Amino acid sequence: MRTVFAKTLKKLMKKNKDVIVITADMGYSVLEEIQKEFPKRIINTGITEQNSISLATGLALSGFKVFLYAQAVFITMRCFEQVRLDIAYNQVDVKLIGPTAGLSLNQLGVSHFATNDIALMRTLPTMTILSPGDPYEAEWAVNTAYKTKGPVYLRLTNKGSEPIHQHKLSLPLGKSIKIKNGKDASLFVTGGLLKQAVKLFSYLGKKGINISLFSIPTIKPLDCKTILNEAKKTGNIYSLEEHDITGGLGSSIAEILAESNIKANFLRFGIPNHFLSVTGSLDYLLSEECSLSCEKMSQIIISRFKG
Amino acid sequence: MLNNFELLQKKAKEIRKQVFKMIVNAHASHIASSFSCIELLVYLYEKVLRINPKNPFALNRDRFILSKGWAVSSLYAILANKGFFAKSLLRTYCQNGSKFIGAATKNGISGVEASTGSAGHGIGIGVGLALAAKIKKKKYRIFVLTGDGECDTGSTWEAMLTAAHHKLDNLVVIVDYNKWQAFGKTNDVLNLEPFSKKWQAFNWSTKEINGHNFTDIHKALSKIPFEKNKPSAIIAHTIKGKGLSIIEDKNEWHYKTPTEKEIKIAQKELFS
Repeated sequence: MRTVFAKTLKKLMKKNKDVIVITADMGYSVLEEIQKEFPKRIINTGITEQNSISLATGLALSGFKVFLYAQAVFITMRCFEQVRLDIAYNQVDVKLIGPTAGLSLNQLGVSHFATNDIALMRTLPTMTILSPGDPYEAEWAVNTAYKTKGPVYLRLTNKGSEPIHQHKLSLPLGKSIKIKNGKDASLFVTGGLLKQAVKLFSYLGKKGINISLFSIPTIKPLDCKTILNEAKKTGNIYSLEEHDITGGLGSSIAEILAESNIKANFLRFGIPNHFLSVTGSLDYLLSEECSLSCEKMSQIIISRFKG
Repeated sequence: MLNNFELLQKKAKEIRKQVFKMIVNAHASHIASSFSCIELLVYLYEKVLRINPKNPFALNRDRFILSKGWAVSSLYAILANKGFFAKSLLRTYCQNGSKFIGAATKNGISGVEASTGSAGHGIGIGVGLALAAKIKKKKYRIFVLTGDGECDTGSTWEAMLTAAHHKLDNLVVIVDYNKWQAFGKTNDVLNLEPFSKKWQAFNWSTKEINGHNFTDIHKALSKIPFEKNKPSAIIAHTIKGKGLSIIEDKNEWHYKTPTEKEIKIAQKELFS
C-alpha cells in the first residue's frame, strides 16, 4: 500500500504545485521517485517529529497542502500534543501519513508497534481518519485525503498489499464498502486485515454461517447508518482491526451500538490490551498471540451461536 | 528619535494599564508574563511588522507568532490598539462565552496568526512559515516571541536546528528572558546558560539586549537579518512583571490576580 501511496501522491504533486511532502527521516524505498521528480518539494526534517508537526503547520498556514510522512507509531504518539494543538486546533491542511501501523514491524516489538494510534487520533475534533485495506482502498484514501480540507490521519499497515477489490473505487468519505452478503452476522473490518476477513467469511460459510462483510476505509467519520442497519438486520456484530481493541474501530462501533436502542450481540477482534512479550513473524503474532486466525475467530463466533 | 521613543514609552504604559484592567476584570493569571514583553511587542507592532489591520490576511504581510501564548493579554491589547478589532472587546477577555481565550487563539480573532499556548510550539511554526516564504520566494519576514522557560523543551532545540539548516534568514526569534518559569528561577530549574552561545553554536546570529530599553530594541531590530543565510535571535533580558513594583521579579504573579489592596497600589503606579 506504501507504493500505491507514493504513486498516487506523485500524481497529485504533478497536478497541484502546492502539494509538499515532509518526511521525518522515513520513506526509504518509498519516496525516492518523488524525491527524484520533485527534489524541491520534499523535505527531510530529520528525526524531529514534534518540530515536524509545528513546521508542517507553518507551511499549511502559508497555503501549502502538506503530506507529512513518518512511522505511524512516532507521528501520532511522540508528538500527540503538537498534533492536537498545532494541526487539529488550528484546523490546518496537513495530512499525516503513518505507514507500518499495527504490528507491521513485527520483529521490533512494542517500541515500533502503532496499536494506539487510532484511539489517540479519534479523540481529536476536526481530525479525519482513513485506514485502507487493499491497494485500491489506499489509492482512494490518498485522493480522499487530498480532497478533504483540514487535518487527516491516513494509516497504512504492511498487510493489505494484495488487491481485494477488482477496480478503482468511487466512494464518498465516511462510507463503508459491502464486500460479502450474509444473514447470520455482520463483520466490520478496517485496514490490512481485510483479506483475513474474506478468508473468515469463506471459513464460516463452510460451517454453515453466512456473514455480511464490510470494509471500513473511513474510521472517522464512521458509517454509523450502515452499522445500525446491520445490527437491526443480523443482530450479531463483529469488528476486526490490527489495533488495540481499546479505542479503535471496535470501540467506535461499541459506542454507537450502546447508545442506540437496537439490541445486538457484539464482539471485538483485535490486538489484546496487553504488551506482547514475544517476537515472531507478522502472521505468527496475529494468529497466535492475538488469536486472529480463522480457526480461532470462527470458534468464538460459532460458540456464540450455540450459546 | 528621542521623541519617538517617548511616544513608544507612552504606548507601553497605555498597554500595561489596559492589560492590568483585563486581568483584574477577568480574575486571570499571567500578569507578570504579559508585562515582561510589552516593550518588545510595542516596538514590533509600531516599528517593525509590515501589517495592515484593514487587510489582516494580505499575502505579503510579516507574520508574528506569540509562542508564549499565555501572555496573550498584551497581544490582544496591542492588536486592539492597532485597530485589528474594537477596544471594547478587550473587556470580554476570559469572560464566559468570549473568543478572547487566555492563551493565544487564532479562530476568529483578527491579527492572531496561530493558536499557541503550549510551551515549545511557536518557533517550529515560525520555521514552517519562514520555509514557506523561502519556497515561494516571498519577501515577508517571520517574528516569534518565545518565553525562556519554554526553551527547556526539546521541540525548541529541534526547531533551532532546522531553522539554521535551512538558512532561514527571514526568521527572527526574540526570547523574553525574564529568568523565571512556572516553579522557579530558570537557572535553578534547568540552566540555559551560556544561552546566547548555544544559539550561536546552532548557527544562529544573536544579539543580547535589555528588552525594556527602546534604544536597545531599536538597534537590535534595525537590520534584519543580522547575518545573511542565518536565522536571527535576540536574547532580550527582561524583568518578569516589569512596570509594577509590587509584582516585579516575583514569581507568584505567574498565577495570582491582585487583591483590592494591591489594585489600589497598582492604580497609583500605573494610572498616575
